[in-house]
Amino acid sequence: MFRKILLMQAFIKKEFIVSKRYLVNSLGGVITLYVIFLLMFGGYQGLRSLAGVGGGTMEGLVAGYVLWLFMLTTYQDAWYTLRTEAQQGTLEQLYMSVHSFGWVMGAKVVAGFFFNLLLVAVLLGAALLTTGVTLNIDLLSLGPVLIGTLLGSWAIGFAIGGITLVLKRIDSYTQMVQFLLIALVAAPAGRVLWMRLLPCSFGSALISRIMVDGMNLTQIGMGDLLLVYGIGLVHLGLGCGIYKLCERKAMLQGTLGHY
Amino acid sequence: MIQVESLQKTYPGRKGQPACRAVDSITFSVPKGQLLGLLGPNGAGKTTTVKMLCGLILPDTGRIFVNGKELTRSRIAALADISAVLEGNRNMYWRLTPRENLEFFAALKGINPAKIRGEINHYLERFRLAEKSDVEARKLSRGMQQKLAILVALISQSKVILLDEPTLGLDVQASHEIRQLLKEIVAEQGRTVILTTHDMNVVQDTCERVIIVNQGRVVADDSVHNLLDLFKVRVYKVTIAGELTGEQRASLLSMEEVLIQEELPHQTVVSVRLEKSEVLYEVIGILGSNNSVIESIDQEQNNFERVFLEIVEGGAQVV
Ligand SMILES: Nc1ncnc2c1ncn2[C@@H]1O[C@H](COP(=O)(O)OP(=O)(O)O)[C@@H](O)[C@H]1O
Ligand SMILES: [Mg+2]
Repeated sequence: MFRKILLMQAFIKKEFIVSKRYLVNSLGGVITLYVIFLLMFGGYQGLRSLAGVGGGTMEGLVAGYVLWLFMLTTYQDAWYTLRTEAQQGTLEQLYMSVHSFGWVMGAKVVAGFFFNLLLVAVLLGAALLTTGVTLNIDLLSLGPVLIGTLLGSWAIGFAIGGITLVLKRIDSYTQMVQFLLIALVAAPAGRVLWMRLLPCSFGSALISRIMVDGMNLTQIGMGDLLLVYGIGLVHLGLGCGIYKLCERKAMLQGTLGHY
Repeated sequence: MIQVESLQKTYPGRKGQPACRAVDSITFSVPKGQLLGLLGPNGAGKTTTVKMLCGLILPDTGRIFVNGKELTRSRIAALADISAVLEGNRNMYWRLTPRENLEFFAALKGINPAKIRGEINHYLERFRLAEKSDVEARKLSRGMQQKLAILVALISQSKVILLDEPTLGLDVQASHEIRQLLKEIVAEQGRTVILTTHDMNVVQDTCERVIIVNQGRVVADDSVHNLLDLFKVRVYKVTIAGELTGEQRASLLSMEEVLIQEELPHQTVVSVRLEKSEVLYEVIGILGSNNSVIESIDQEQNNFERVFLEIVEGGAQVV
């Protein structure tokens, strides 16, 4: 266990060093994401004044944006890590660790989670300041639901990361996942029952209940929380399964380190 | 320390290409503390073999044991004893400094970086990287990156170090330095090192033992010393004045060991590969039968390159 914590520390330290050393890049990323928000915000206001209707609320927009952001960075953390490490040739080293590759990736994504949390918090602050809305940031209620929701993002990340190992040309299509994630956040899984089966959707609906409608975990109830985790774990299992299949294929064709 | 039994690997053919048998029934074992060279031309199957030893490529058949542990059955335990610098020495992060890289990869191998600070410093000094220990790896020279790559493998304290083409693309000086360091490390620490190369000079200069592979097969496996000897003693060049008679030529050509290298009106060169020393006397007898004057009998000066070419291109089998 101690060695696993060491490994996680090492990932956190590496991430920290690189984001500090390449601070301009890191800030550039934050600013880009903020600009995306401004565009959404502007578009939303434009639409509203054009149509003269108030479908959806500003609160919903901000909550949806940060949730999408968190899902996106989480997904990227899994997928992009696999892709770049394969490209750099360090993936093969990660496979030669004294820990199983599952643990290595686990440590990596947990380390990444803290950085994503920081990033999302900053952008949430910026979005709130820009729009002047207030949201119910009840961390005790949000935390458990959020992690259950993110299981789906990791699942998508591992699955696509695995496919990228085998089919390098899939790369250019992965852009679409960003839009897929928007659809998953926006899916009305609270009302349409089958949509709860989609990755992240039901969790997103619950999070918006907390942030926008001001509910807390007890009001949401244990049943729904368990459902979020149940769905999330099934997706994660599927994602890891797809990854494992692709990993085996890559080991057979000798392309774990090639790009 | 390492045992490889009948290892075989066929890559599935991609995009309509036929499947490629990269490694064809390779067997060898390496005792603790040996510096073994895996020598072969490009495409011989060296990288494939090394990656199978690392558990990164799955073999079709065959077994690999690392320190008694079978790789496919107890992967983690077996890999705990192996570190590798693979093709292109990319086992480092370009945006991290040598020190940061060493600390990260130590942790990956289960070693607490805080406990080996002294060792890291020692190695950085020794590999003449201390001055650059806080410069990003991407800004280092090729030679320095290569040294760092090897250091990253060494810092893990693994018993077995695999190096795929460790001197490829380096200038003479950097290559020499790396060979020297490798020899020292093996002598001092008793680690087992397997390096691959297509450069016979590297093997001749660095390794105790060499396995020559060609087209996925082991074609020679011996000490570097023996291989050199074997060929040096075995090839003689006999030069006579004048031409051979038809009878002489027929007798010589009937002998497998003999090659008529050069036939000019004033001089003929015959090379003899000796399996038994009698053959040389027999050849001399034939050549002398026409009162030809034997001008010289030379022992061919063989360097490793010749041995290598002879084995690989001539298809000779010395196992
Ligand atoms: N990933 C791969 N897919 C298909 N064929 C490969 C792959 N890697 C290597 N080969 C082929 O296998 C043979 C051996 O390659 P390799 O092990 O890289 O040789 P070496 O390292 O000795 O140059 C070559 O013919 C090469 O073209
Ligand atoms: Mg190679």
